[in-house]
Amino acid sequence: MSHFFRAEQLVMRFGGLTAVNDFSISMEPGELVGLIGPNGAGKTTVFNMITGAISATSGRVVWLGEEITQFPLHVIASRGIARTFQNIRLFTDLTALDNVMVSFHHKLRANFWDAMFGLPAYRREERRIKEESLELLQEMGLAHMAMEKAGALPYGKQRRLEIARALATKPRLLLLDEPAAGMNPQETLELVGLVRELRDKYALTILLIEHDMKFVMRLCERIKVLDYGYTIAEGTPAEIQNNPEVIKAYLGSQTHA
Amino acid sequence: MLSYCLPPWKGFQSVSGTIFFQQLINGMSLGSLYGLVAIGYTMVYGILRLINFAHGDLLMFAAYAAIYCVTLFSLPWTLSFPVAILMTGLMGIVLDRTAYKPLRNAPRISLLISAIGASFLLENLALVVLGGVPKAFPRPDVFDQVIELWGLRIQVLTIYTPVVTLALLAGLLFIVYKTKAGKAMRAASKDFETTRLMGINLDRIIALTFLLGSSLAAAGGIMWAMKYPQVNPFMGVFPGLKAFIAAVLGGIGNIVGAVIGGFLLGLGEILIVALLPELAQYRDAFAFVILILVLLFRPTGIMGEPLTDKV
Amino acid sequence: MPGASLFGGWRLMERTRRNALLNLLALLALAYALYLFDRYGTDYQVRILNNMAIFITLAVSYNLINGVCGILHLGPNAFVAIGAYTSALLTMSPMEKQMNYIIEPLMWPFSVLNAPFLVALIAGGLLAAFFAFLISFPVFRVRGDYLAIVTLGFGEVVRVICNAFQSVTNGPLGLKGLALHSNLWWTWGVAVVTITAVSKLVQSSYGRAMKAIREDEIAARAMGIDPFKHLLMAFLISAFFSGVAGGLLAHLIRTISPTLFTFFLTFNLLIMIVVGGLGSTTGAVIGAALFAWGGEALRIVEQPVQVAGLKIPGIPGMRMVVFSLILMVVIIFARHGIMGRHEFSWDWLFHKVRFGAARD
Repeated sequence: MSHFFRAEQLVMRFGGLTAVNDFSISMEPGELVGLIGPNGAGKTTVFNMITGAISATSGRVVWLGEEITQFPLHVIASRGIARTFQNIRLFTDLTALDNVMVSFHHKLRANFWDAMFGLPAYRREERRIKEESLELLQEMGLAHMAMEKAGALPYGKQRRLEIARALATKPRLLLLDEPAAGMNPQETLELVGLVRELRDKYALTILLIEHDMKFVMRLCERIKVLDYGYTIAEGTPAEIQNNPEVIKAYLGSQTHA
Repeated sequence: MLSYCLPPWKGFQSVSGTIFFQQLINGMSLGSLYGLVAIGYTMVYGILRLINFAHGDLLMFAAYAAIYCVTLFSLPWTLSFPVAILMTGLMGIVLDRTAYKPLRNAPRISLLISAIGASFLLENLALVVLGGVPKAFPRPDVFDQVIELWGLRIQVLTIYTPVVTLALLAGLLFIVYKTKAGKAMRAASKDFETTRLMGINLDRIIALTFLLGSSLAAAGGIMWAMKYPQVNPFMGVFPGLKAFIAAVLGGIGNIVGAVIGGFLLGLGEILIVALLPELAQYRDAFAFVILILVLLFRPTGIMGEPLTDKV
Repeated sequence: MPGASLFGGWRLMERTRRNALLNLLALLALAYALYLFDRYGTDYQVRILNNMAIFITLAVSYNLINGVCGILHLGPNAFVAIGAYTSALLTMSPMEKQMNYIIEPLMWPFSVLNAPFLVALIAGGLLAAFFAFLISFPVFRVRGDYLAIVTLGFGEVVRVICNAFQSVTNGPLGLKGLALHSNLWWTWGVAVVTITAVSKLVQSSYGRAMKAIREDEIAARAMGIDPFKHLLMAFLISAFFSGVAGGLLAHLIRTISPTLFTFFLTFNLLIMIVVGGLGSTTGAVIGAALFAWGGEALRIVEQPVQVAGLKIPGIPGMRMVVFSLILMVVIIFARHGIMGRHEFSWDWLFHKVRFGAARD
């Protein structure tokens, strides 16, 4: 049982449909855990419950020793749990730089009046935010696109910008929802290295959803498998690869599709 | 524009049993009109997620259409009214094609602004073309009769209104639940994109929705004009707004809910004035207060399903 | 352009100072123009300029909600009304009040309160903001069309109260004979303050958060931004300046009544910000200026005209037909209006000039 982060027996029902049943996870600082499963298995719903985007039907989420189950999305985000979205949700009409700068706002020390009167303290802070944002963009290989509108970036760059934006909130736990979706093998390979680097540099703990098995197997130390809302397996990449339940779930779902 | 609002209710001084009953009937009558107009809002909202701001102005359109059918072409009312209703139904389709269809993929705020523009355009075109002087509505004599019931004198129209409303509602429910087109309509309101992918011609479904909703608004408009026989270019504004509130009250997207919401709102308005005459001047604010209360405590209305945010 | 000149360094400092200087010069030029109009302008010109400034104040503060936050708020007429009535009640002398309120006397404490114009204006703005605060809870529980209809409803409720609450508002008769306090200096002074304040806000970290909410509220929340707090902030500021503009309006036309503050007013503001470009403060200014000028110019279509000896009577409602058509055409065919979401800046101007010069 981790005091760092754990979710206990999360259940999500939509009307008569149980999207997620009895999901539990416990993570230690610095871990890199993968969440896999066929389409519709309830992976994104788990993310939504953890981050407060939807409120779980039952169960609890404990973060740094405090129960945060019913906290609103923005409060949970400001407590250090950041996420990206499966269906990229950038601020499309803002520049890439502004997208990242937005994430610093919740930690802004200057108050409204400081900002309105452009007091030196505020201006210094704004300058620092801009510099840090540019550094983050640089790190994600987006520096040359800082002034482009986010919606105009190519798909792979948008995924990277989402990660940069999430990092800018200064999270300790980062949830990545299909970060490699739509990327070519080369980009995916680069992403493996990048995620590791980020984890080490920013002391992150990462939980990620991904369909690209190579990506997950290469990157994650531990994997959980969901199917129809149930957790059907958990273990190291090697264990998961040979788990008959998992093979059945994946092959089964493929014949359905 | 709103200075053209309806003539205020005649004051009620004391509240005896019979008068109360009389008001109850008045409230039902008014409420059924709100309900009739609310159906159109709820149907369009169900499919396009748009408040058709110009919907109320279709009342006005129908009333004028009926007047001109009777006075200009000297048609009997039995023919004039159906013609006016049909014309209004087609007008609804024209409205969609010109003001809303070009904006199907635009941000919601644009669509709503276009709707507001369309509403103002209809009102002011009517003002320019037909003039601002209120026209008398030629009420057929049949509706003028007064019957005595348990010591109450009731105008026949007051009784006909809810009856017609319920009959139209039954017809609409038949279309929506028992016909193929109705099934497609319900599918479109559940999931627009999937319905499109299933190969259903959404443009036709939307046109049908506007046709039905606008025709019902027309029926409401004609009955409204018979009840308050002063027709002017802005007559649809208040009934429209209140009918929308009735739709929210009933649970937007729900046809039966819209009619129930309409009845509740009509009854509420009449009874509150009957019981507390000193509030008569605030009558037009009542509906909005109800709206705020509904949104605060039960945003999905009486019959509505919970709103879910797609993440 | 090398990176060093983009971020920090002496060139940035130099540019900031240049821009500040240019701002000052522009203000002086405006003041000089106002001085000239004040002295030599015709009544007609002065009236248009006054209207223009008040419309600019209203459009810029309205755009903060509708354009920057992306919320379709349809009740600014209520805030204008609150500001107008509040400031009028504060500047009227007890004598004037007695003469106005013939049906029902003005209730205490309004009957005895009295304040100088500036205080009255600010009080009007503050009371408008206070009402904005009160309704923010039901309003911001919903979004989209629901929010539109709630705010529209609020506007209607305020109008109904103006009509019915006679012992404060004097009902449909309204208030007559207000002192003529507003002049070019007041109206344009307020407009400049509003533009400055709103621009500052929009360019700040708070404004960025508001735009993020407009773009994608859930994503903004996932980045730690509290939508209620920021929408409320924008709403209060918008209501405050709308209220102040209401006070200016009241002391310019000197007669106010509930018919002045109907949804019609909101509709006009909507046209201004849509034509100017939703989300652009510059656009709001341009839209308001065009409206003030075009609205006057369009009056001819409603006035009787004499053509070749024939007298054609004016057509009431024609102006509104034109306005509604403009609104619909812009929103359907040119959704971004004149400015889109771009803003005027000196940097942009210089860039243009230099770019243009390089091409020659």
